[in-house]
Amino acid sequence: MADKQGGDDIPRRKSSFLAKRSSSASALSIIGGLAIWEFCGRFLVKNSLFLATPSQVVEEIIELARTGELGIHVWASAQEFVIGLSIAIVLGIAIGFVMASSRIGEQVFGPWVTALYATPTVAISPLIILWAGIGVWSKAIVVIINSIFPMIINTDAGLRATDKHLIDAARCFGASRLQIFWKVSLPSAIPFVLAGLKLAVGRGLVAVVVAELFGSRAGLGYLLVQAAEVFNMPRLFAAVVILAVTGIVLTALVGRLERFLLPWRFVGQESK
Amino acid sequence: MAKLEIVNVSKSFGSLEVLRDINLRIEDHEFVAIVGPSGCGKTTLLRTIAGIETPDRGTILVDGRAIDKPGADRGFVFQQDSLFPWRTVWQNTIFGLEISGRIDEETKKRTRELLRLVGLAGFENYYPTQLSGGMRQRVNIARALAINPEVLIMDEPFSALDAQTREVMQLELLRIWLQGRKTVLFITHQIDEAVFLADRVVVLGRRPGRIKEIVPIDLPRPREFGIKRDLQFIAYVDRVWSLIENDVHDSVREDAVALN
Ligand SMILES: Nc1ncnc2c1ncn2[C@@H]1O[C@H](COP(=O)(O)OP(=O)(O)OP(=O)(O)O)[C@@H](O)[C@H]1O
Ligand SMILES: [Mg+2]
Repeated sequence: MADKQGGDDIPRRKSSFLAKRSSSASALSIIGGLAIWEFCGRFLVKNSLFLATPSQVVEEIIELARTGELGIHVWASAQEFVIGLSIAIVLGIAIGFVMASSRIGEQVFGPWVTALYATPTVAISPLIILWAGIGVWSKAIVVIINSIFPMIINTDAGLRATDKHLIDAARCFGASRLQIFWKVSLPSAIPFVLAGLKLAVGRGLVAVVVAELFGSRAGLGYLLVQAAEVFNMPRLFAAVVILAVTGIVLTALVGRLERFLLPWRFVGQESK
Repeated sequence: MAKLEIVNVSKSFGSLEVLRDINLRIEDHEFVAIVGPSGCGKTTLLRTIAGIETPDRGTILVDGRAIDKPGADRGFVFQQDSLFPWRTVWQNTIFGLEISGRIDEETKKRTRELLRLVGLAGFENYYPTQLSGGMRQRVNIARALAINPEVLIMDEPFSALDAQTREVMQLELLRIWLQGRKTVLFITHQIDEAVFLADRVVVLGRRPGRIKEIVPIDLPRPREFGIKRDLQFIAYVDRVWSLIENDVHDSVREDAVALN
């Protein structure tokens, strides 16, 4: 087993070379963009009611961090997001499983899922806030109703898409229904579930901010409205930047998870 | 007593009669090949022997015991590539042992030897996507052999391979078979493959699949490629071909008509 190392090396070396090149291009792109932004903020759009420069934004973020405000808002949003997304994941996978494995399940959940998946459920968040108050849970609920549908749909589709020949092969080895589920259907559904998770994360992030806009006492969305009301542009941009970075970090985390759970999908094509 | 016995097996899918009164006895250590035109029910017969399809009539016996479900006494290699893409070579190979809860030091050691036997030592941690078609089929064979079955049943295992790889795999299979001396039931489209490998070639007729004739192949073993130029070999191929020629023409024509 140790002797396979040699065969492994080649794609990895190639990938790190390409990764270096593409990451330096990205770095240049970002630095260039920031420079243009800074330039516009200083010399073109002089009115600080419309634009804050990157340096002001950085200063603001440092200031927010120093006073501890940043921590409070990030913590509030993170709580809502994590609680909501966790429930959406667990419940979504469970419902998707029920739909894929029983006819009745499909008939009971199917119409709702189809109808609600395409609906911009984020639009009803004011209603949820009205019903559930302005605490953590109302926002968590908004996250759930936005993130759960991609989880349900992808789990269901993934379990159904299991290659019939693989199931037959497992049956020939005497696998029970339960073993077929654990060892064949589930692993083959994981790529679908992860694709659903990517969507769920994005939708969940939007949901948190939008829900906070409608009613909250803390959170990045709250920070955003507060800053907008008093035309504090550096602060408003600070909130936006933090959200953007969070989005990037979360996407990268899901990518990591993919590589961890689906190593077979990445072997031999790592240069991509 | 025959190792594998197929007694009066018939099978229909709805109104489509696929197998009619199949009777076949396969002795221990015997290598039997089945040829027949496309759609004559070869895979269906195999699935019935596997126990994942139930015959309408008739019985399948292994060592004199009637079987009604899959079991570790039969190992399968499939027509399609049926390795689990998320499992490494090693994990694929031990799949059957895992299912029946028989993984221990001894079976692991045996499986490692098996992988060496099929020429895949050192590839244990590779995923199927990293292997060539020929290597994948070797894993398939190893996976079937890992449960140490009484009978090895193969459904056109080399049909997806190119001509050269196919020839090499035929030799490999004979080599593996000579070492373990399992009973083998081998399905193929290719007549020279059947004659090259088998002790007997069973010729199935067009749907509904019936046994037309069984041709014993009296060629010395171990067999090498050279034998394929042997006059006796060519005579066997001609004989089998003449038995199924009309059926092949008819079945192709029938499929064409069905398409129009
Ligand atoms: N599950 C099924 N339901 C209905 N019809 C089936 C089913 N499985 C096979 N058939 C039909 O039974 C016939 C025999 O199929 P089978 O796969 O056994 O043929 P085959 O001899 O293996 O063909 P090939 O050589 O092309 O692999 C075909 O006409 C096929 O359409
Ligand atoms: Mg077939």
